[in-house]
Amino acid sequence: MNCHYARSGLITLIIVLLAFPLAVLAQDKPSLMPPQDFIAFDTPNDDGKSISLIWKASESDREGVYYIIYAATSSKGPWKEQYRVLSTTRFKSDAPQYFGLSKDNEKWHFYEVTDINENPLSITTPTYFKLAVTDGTNTIAFPGIALSMPQGNWFDTSKINVLVFVIVFSFLVMYFISLARKNLNLFIRHIPGLDAIEETIGRATEMGRPILYLNGLLDMSSLSTIASTSILGKVARKVANYDSQIKVPCYDPIVMSVCQEVVKESYLEAGRPDAFKEDNIFFITNDQFAYAAAVDGIIVRHKPAANLYMGYYYAESLLIAETGAVSGAMQIAGTDSITQLPFFITTCDYTLMGEELYAASAYLSREPLQLGSLKGQDFGKGFIILMLVVGTIVSTIGYPFFVNLVRTF
Amino acid sequence: MTPEKNNKTIDTILLIIFVAFLLGINIFLFSGKYLHFDTQGVGIVVAAFLTLAMYSFLYKDNPLFKIAEHIFVGIGMGMGVVLTWLQVIKPLLYKPLIRHAIFDNTPGTPDYILIVPMILGIFMFARLYGKTSWLSRWSFAFIVGGGAGIGIPVIINSLILKQLEPSLQPIFVDWVVTWQSINILLILVGTISVLIYFFFSLPHKGTIGGISRIGIWFLMISFGATFGYTVMGRMSLIIQRIQFLLTDWLHIIK
Amino acid sequence: MIKFLLNIDRRIIFILVLLALIIPLKSQIFNMPVKPTSTVEKIYKKIESLSQGSIFLLSSDYDPQSRAELYPMHIALLRHCFRKNIKVISMTHWIYGVGIAEEALKKASAEYNKKDGEDYVFLGWKPGFAMLIIGMGQDLYSAYPTDYYGKNTRDIPMLKNVASLRDIDYMIDLAAGATIEPWIIYGSDVYKFEMGAGCTAISAPDMYPFMQTKQLNGLLGGMKGAADYETLLEKGTLVGENLTLEEKTNLAREAMRPLTAVHLLIIILVIMCNILYLLTREKK
Repeated sequence: MNCHYARSGLITLIIVLLAFPLAVLAQDKPSLMPPQDFIAFDTPNDDGKSISLIWKASESDREGVYYIIYAATSSKGPWKEQYRVLSTTRFKSDAPQYFGLSKDNEKWHFYEVTDINENPLSITTPTYFKLAVTDGTNTIAFPGIALSMPQGNWFDTSKINVLVFVIVFSFLVMYFISLARKNLNLFIRHIPGLDAIEETIGRATEMGRPILYLNGLLDMSSLSTIASTSILGKVARKVANYDSQIKVPCYDPIVMSVCQEVVKESYLEAGRPDAFKEDNIFFITNDQFAYAAAVDGIIVRHKPAANLYMGYYYAESLLIAETGAVSGAMQIAGTDSITQLPFFITTCDYTLMGEELYAASAYLSREPLQLGSLKGQDFGKGFIILMLVVGTIVSTIGYPFFVNLVRTF
Repeated sequence: MTPEKNNKTIDTILLIIFVAFLLGINIFLFSGKYLHFDTQGVGIVVAAFLTLAMYSFLYKDNPLFKIAEHIFVGIGMGMGVVLTWLQVIKPLLYKPLIRHAIFDNTPGTPDYILIVPMILGIFMFARLYGKTSWLSRWSFAFIVGGGAGIGIPVIINSLILKQLEPSLQPIFVDWVVTWQSINILLILVGTISVLIYFFFSLPHKGTIGGISRIGIWFLMISFGATFGYTVMGRMSLIIQRIQFLLTDWLHIIK
Repeated sequence: MIKFLLNIDRRIIFILVLLALIIPLKSQIFNMPVKPTSTVEKIYKKIESLSQGSIFLLSSDYDPQSRAELYPMHIALLRHCFRKNIKVISMTHWIYGVGIAEEALKKASAEYNKKDGEDYVFLGWKPGFAMLIIGMGQDLYSAYPTDYYGKNTRDIPMLKNVASLRDIDYMIDLAAGATIEPWIIYGSDVYKFEMGAGCTAISAPDMYPFMQTKQLNGLLGGMKGAADYETLLEKGTLVGENLTLEEKTNLAREAMRPLTAVHLLIIILVIMCNILYLLTREKK
């Protein structure tokens, strides 16, 4: 008898021991809770092709628990399962472009619906949605129906920071252009390469050899080509004064005709219209390396005393500048093509780097548009430097305010 | 004989030897059936000749280089014209619009909206004639206005704000210096100093001068990296040409 | 001696470079292992992670002048995609690049028996550049009503579910010029697709800022980038999988031997010239 009690006691103990961890596990896994606050609405900041569905994250969300989204084109159905969402995924925080960076977004599930039954959503009639949660054995549905209709948005509020930057930069440039119109003596720092231009023209005159001037490989809509033609005007005027010669082989036919006008005008200003030779400004080809080969040929055969390379260049830069360096010509380059700068720096006597090309153009022409733009850009740079310094300090202290301010979606 | 004349004689002899070598080697290649006398075989010989003629510039300017240079310019120009007709004007303007105006029985309906870009395109040519050059401003206005409108917001988005974001990261996390801290600091110092170098409204004197000198250092290091990469790029081009000469032309490498 | 070295005829250096290029090509000298860089690995891993039938857009924006550097990576990428049964859309922004883009696609597709319209599509060239990218982002069928061969894009089976750039799973721009930036700013940043790039060595340093911001997930820089990719592709071959003869012919890895030799020569020359410069400066 005692033995029987002992055995049943042991069995009870084993059952209790076995049941205890199960009970603990059961406590870890809260029973399935019905979905809460299921809402459908037109997705903000989009082109009107999707509907957003949101519902509150629940304590029963875990691996193995799924939310099922049903959709229909009528409130009476027929309802068809469209998507199955793992309950540990898809939160509002995954879509900051729609919902911002609020910490509350982690407490809400989000699903963006773009089609039902592989058809795009209707923009004239609402689409109806139902939501249920399932762990494989039990399924609990949200008691109501959510409905919405997609609509295109005029403004993308997630890009307000871009708008602010556009306004700030545009304002700075416009303000300084208006200032430059009133006062042409706005300060621009001295650019060493510019002094050398006069020296090269003098040298070419002494040697009785021409000056070669290249405008780069971009067309007239490029800023660097505009700056280059502007510098060409000033160089051509000095050339006319010194009674030297300038040759301008062009890569683009429209740039060629602009250069002809610019040089002609400079010769007129210098009072030497008779010395202007239109044939000295000529088109070669708009094939990159064929152009380089032809310019190399000109450098070797005509032996210009000075070569000026102003504008935007690609891989042909070293081919041309190296030939110029070997020919013994004095060389000045100016380019905003960052990748080509090293080659100009090593082969030329002076190099205007990056924005120095625009600055040189503004410095020489004193044109309000160029002067004002340069000043505006300077203050834009100042604004960015300030943001970088303050922003890094603030985020190091632990406040990501500036990072969030510049975050793009 | 003057040294100049002497040099000229040497150059002429070298040129004759070079041409004779080219002729001899090609006769050998064709007679030995290494190359077939068809479009491919002749094409390889022409390509080999032009490659060597171009490289002969490394010795000095010479008639072979001049021939190759002029062929290159001519082909570049001719190919540009042909491709512009075949890929641009024919499929995008002639077929959908002009053909309908010329031939009565053309299938389909003409795409009249193309008249607008066609006129704007013609206006670009007006620049070539002084009295009508003002018309090209309309085309330019369209290009510049449209380009700026489309470009400015996305450039600010992608090239300014997106680039600023990783530069605004905390330098230390929990005040511990890591390699990441050093990287962030370097990027920050580099960006600021280079921006200050390109600041034109203040003279480069005193503190500004000092910071801009640091900027120059950063620029020079980046130029060095570019230079290194470029050596690789240029050498890759020559390797491909040598591979072509030794494999496809001379059959030395299989 | 210093004076002689400083005034050395440049043509002697040219001959040295030529020898450094030819000798390793003919022999196995300078045959060193290629260790793939992390930026290349990222692109390889991304393509490896794509499932069968994923859509890969390849914009080959280069012409014959940059063929030496970009064609090897072009072929390697196509082989990888076709091996993984990934669908390829090929296009070019460079009018002179149409021939190479078509040649590479035909070559790689023939190696894997892939069919036009089902496994790959060639859209060819169209003007517009940035506007074209925006157009593709809004509606691919309007931007390209027909493919290069004149077939209606709406009727091409492979493009059935590719209405715009938003439906692209991964994209790579092979660029000889400045096309990567526009693809980022008008394409991937706006239409939210992941993007990598391959470029000529000269442009590679400019692309690193875009990797810091994750606007590019990886980069193939010049011949070395292509050689890295070829190495990864060979390492990634499954056991028992037979490589085709074409796959064994690795265009970029073949060039690594002469490239190593000539780099060594140039490093020696740079060091030597700097020492000579310092010596002459001290004398002055």
